[in-house]
Amino acid sequence: MLMNFCISLIFLFYFDGLIQENLLTGFDSLDLNPTHLSIQDSVIIDQRNDFIKQRLFENPQDSSLLEFAQETLVFSHLLNYAKGALMSNDRLGLIYQYTFSNPFKALDSYFQALSIAEENPELSDLQWGIKGNVGLIYYEQEEYGKSLKLFQEVAANSRESELTALLNIGNIYGAIHQNDSAIYYFEKALLFQELHSNPVQLANLYSNLSLIYVQEQDSVNALDMAQRSLNLVDSLDINFVKPTAFANAAMAYLLIGALDQSEELAIRSLKISQQQGNIFVQKVAWGTLSDIYAAKGNYKQGLQAFQEFSLLKDSLNNQNRRVEINRRQMAFDFEKEHDQAMAEIERQKLQRIYTLGIAVLVGLILMAIGYIYKKRRDTRTEISEAKSRVLIFETELKLLRTQMNPHFIFNSLNSIGDYILKYDPESAQDYLSKFGKLMRMLLENSSKDEISLQEDLEFLDLYLQIESRRQPYKFSYSIEVDDKLDVTNVLVPPMLLQPFVENCIWHAFPEKNKMGKIEISFKMEEDTLHCAIEDNGVGRSRGQVSGTHQSMGSAITESRLRILNQRLGWDGKLQIIDKPFNSGTQVEISLPLILAF
Amino acid sequence: MKRIIFIVEDEQHCTDRIVEFLKPYQSKIDLYWFDSVERAKKEWENRSPDIVFLDVRIGDRTGFELLAEISLTDFCLIFTTSFEQYALDAFRFSALDYLLKPIDREEFEKALNRAFEKLDHQQLKERLGVLLGHLSQVPSSKKISLPFQGGFIFLDIQDVLRCEADSNYTHLFTVEGKKYTVSKTLKYYELLLQDFGFFRIHNSHLINLRYVNEYSKTGYVTLSTQLILEVSSRRKEAFSKAMGLFLNG
Repeated sequence: MLMNFCISLIFLFYFDGLIQENLLTGFDSLDLNPTHLSIQDSVIIDQRNDFIKQRLFENPQDSSLLEFAQETLVFSHLLNYAKGALMSNDRLGLIYQYTFSNPFKALDSYFQALSIAEENPELSDLQWGIKGNVGLIYYEQEEYGKSLKLFQEVAANSRESELTALLNIGNIYGAIHQNDSAIYYFEKALLFQELHSNPVQLANLYSNLSLIYVQEQDSVNALDMAQRSLNLVDSLDINFVKPTAFANAAMAYLLIGALDQSEELAIRSLKISQQQGNIFVQKVAWGTLSDIYAAKGNYKQGLQAFQEFSLLKDSLNNQNRRVEINRRQMAFDFEKEHDQAMAEIERQKLQRIYTLGIAVLVGLILMAIGYIYKKRRDTRTEISEAKSRVLIFETELKLLRTQMNPHFIFNSLNSIGDYILKYDPESAQDYLSKFGKLMRMLLENSSKDEISLQEDLEFLDLYLQIESRRQPYKFSYSIEVDDKLDVTNVLVPPMLLQPFVENCIWHAFPEKNKMGKIEISFKMEEDTLHCAIEDNGVGRSRGQVSGTHQSMGSAITESRLRILNQRLGWDGKLQIIDKPFNSGTQVEISLPLILAF
Repeated sequence: MKRIIFIVEDEQHCTDRIVEFLKPYQSKIDLYWFDSVERAKKEWENRSPDIVFLDVRIGDRTGFELLAEISLTDFCLIFTTSFEQYALDAFRFSALDYLLKPIDREEFEKALNRAFEKLDHQQLKERLGVLLGHLSQVPSSKKISLPFQGGFIFLDIQDVLRCEADSNYTHLFTVEGKKYTVSKTLKYYELLLQDFGFFRIHNSHLINLRYVNEYSKTGYVTLSTQLILEVSSRRKEAFSKAMGLFLNG
């Protein structure tokens, strides 16, 4: 009589079909920096979850995965990445379930995962895999009703997980000794094509079927199924399935009385399950060994095996009794962790708000600085523009003054030429020295913005002296200055009048036998200086006919006056009056009266 | 006794012009002309001239170099120059005679007559000292020569407290309280002294800024002698600026 009926588990419910090709080499590439998380990091979280699953399948004893999975969960929360959190909880469940054999912690993780799936409808497809895992735990805890209900739900709703659900339903029926139903579901499962491409599940199914047939005392089918499962397990070296497959096969061999083979298989199962820390399988293996030794008549060893069996069974029962305590502890721990996680999230939120606040503040300060800078720059630009305007004015003025020089110089050179033509070296000599003096004054004056009226008068006088000496009987001149004017103190722009005087001399008196007269006067009227040049010549209309360059000098003066008005806000005026009956021209210039002192 | 006249001039047409102007005086003079500093220097000891027309620029040398190389006896020195502004200022400081080219016959006659009357060769050594002091690139205490009581008085420019206009005359006051009157306009001294820390605060007043003790915004300066002078309203702004520049070096 069999002292136990062990139904081996369909392992790793959620692993099947999920072993993916993206074999990751290690943790390093999946590192996350908790202070610099970004949306892109959700990809890394996905990769981390895939990685855990894979590692867990390859090596279920790797306890370092726990920390890694917990970290992944925290990151998921920090990122508010629901899918990541769901998967991490699922992985934690798997780790607690298989690596730490702690079903209660595993259940807590799974329930976390399920609550996330409920909150996020788009993740509801993921619930079936988790429910399958929960069903497995209930199954392990021998809460078959709950387990069956879950698996049936999974089988009905998830095409993807239907097969594993069916297999587990079969297992449950096996466990509750409804062997017909078990066989029915297992046969149904065998019809799935995908099962045959998944040797892990197939080996499990064969192993489980063999167990059912053992319970049915159907030794032929039991052995057949056991051998199929052993072939698969051995040829593919599927470690996970090995302990249960060996345990179940041991029972099949025991059934047909192949005691040595059975013992060998049971011991192999025991060793591997001891390595894996799987108490449940160890218990089954000891049970089988106890039966084998009993059948062999080796009662001493049989008793020892039974004692081991009982010990493990008690331990498992104790575990069951600890369920509630553990669950409460778990709930408390979880609450604590949850609070901590929430606190962390709050802290992050607060930090974000602070960061945002500081960023806004810095932004405002930068804007203010920018504004001030711009304003200053604008002011500077304005100043420099004003400066450059002044510069342009001054340059223009200088240019205009120097433009006048060649005009005057060439006229004077013509005069000297006249003397040479007339074979009068003495006069040429005198003329030249006067001209030299005039040139000196011209050069000095034209570099200045303003000179005293006295200096300007000296210049005009010298100029008129020279010109009247050149053409002795052509014209006479007079310069009248208002007594009220302090000529040393009144400032005028240099040589403003000279071009008009020049015009008179060259163009107003074409008639040889008529003595011309040029009258220059300076008068003061309140704040205005009136300068006038009057001639009794032929007037502009006739004068212009004889001289084409007449307007050059006066045009320059006009431009100068315009610039001075613009620049200094003067209201200087230039007026050229034609006297009636072509009896001459009168030029009037009025300037603001500027005093040096 | 004939006067010995030297013309040191590298441009022939300038020499010709002076020679031309000197024709009426042929009987009274012995005329020598040289076109280089070296030749003039060689003849100098043999002839010791009474009147020298000396060009400022002779080839690649200057008339000042010649003066530095000869032993100075009293002779009448008349510079001839074209447009060396720096030299003109130096002539004015030293009250030495100069003629601007092209030389005007009238001015030539005046200068020559002064020379014949021996009016212009007194204290030549001191006046040349003033001249060379102004031409020197090395900063030294610059002096000014003032024609005074038929002779010359030499003042350190920085001992001049102020100048005051009196129509075509100018009174110069020293820090020691001495007063000299010269027949030049205030404008003449303004142009001469403005680069030496002098500022014209008024139509009638040119002051040495280093002796300003106080300036009230109402427009009065107090000099170190406690003399209070008015700053003309149009000059206030410029005065503040000049004062600031002066104080800041």
